[in-house]
Amino acid sequence: MSFREKSAWVMGALMVAAGLYYVDIALAASRGIGQATPPVSLFIPFTLLVVTVSVVVQAAMAILAPKAASAPADEREKPLLDRAGHWSGIVLGAGAATSLLRFVYQQDGILLFHMIMASLIVSQIAEYAFQIVLIRRNS
Amino acid sequence: MGKSPPITNRVRELRETHGQMSQAALGDAIGVTRQTVIAIEQGRYSPSLESAFRIARIFGVGIEDVFGWDEAHP
Repeated sequence: MSFREKSAWVMGALMVAAGLYYVDIALAASRGIGQATPPVSLFIPFTLLVVTVSVVVQAAMAILAPKAASAPADEREKPLLDRAGHWSGIVLGAGAATSLLRFVYQQDGILLFHMIMASLIVSQIAEYAFQIVLIRRNS
Repeated sequence: MGKSPPITNRVRELRETHGQMSQAALGDAIGVTRQTVIAIEQGRYSPSLESAFRIARIFGVGIEDVFGWDEAHP
């Protein structure tokens, strides 16, 4: 398995865990305050935690395989990564459009924030999934 | 797996006749990963023209001594 595929598996798993954690704290906060949409401020520590864990995991992988980690994508990998990025962009766009349509009908800015945040997480997971599928199909 | 390109190659054979050069060493020499060298050898990926020339130069042969067109391909 190439370093890029390993990295996609690890980061994809991390983002799935982050997404589930996000849903968990959102539901717990909603129940706590008795409203459908929890306040945005609750998610600042979440974002900081996800960014910190991502950096630590990437650094650990780079320490374990420094040469592979520092090598740029080669001519075979680049188009695959570009395609994965393109498709995940479509996922993000669909999520953002859905969120905005919901906002038009409901006028709930906090719900819009949560839906955009969820779209970002889902599109990131989709990007790693597309990378894994494309790398496997072409190796 | 994607459709294989209609290009044949002798990369594995040349690598083995050049002191059993490893796939990783060849990859390092031409600036691609070991996985890409494996894909080239197995005929699942056609390298760029630049990489094809680099491979040929490493083995000291012409590009047509390394790569060829699969005549059986439509």
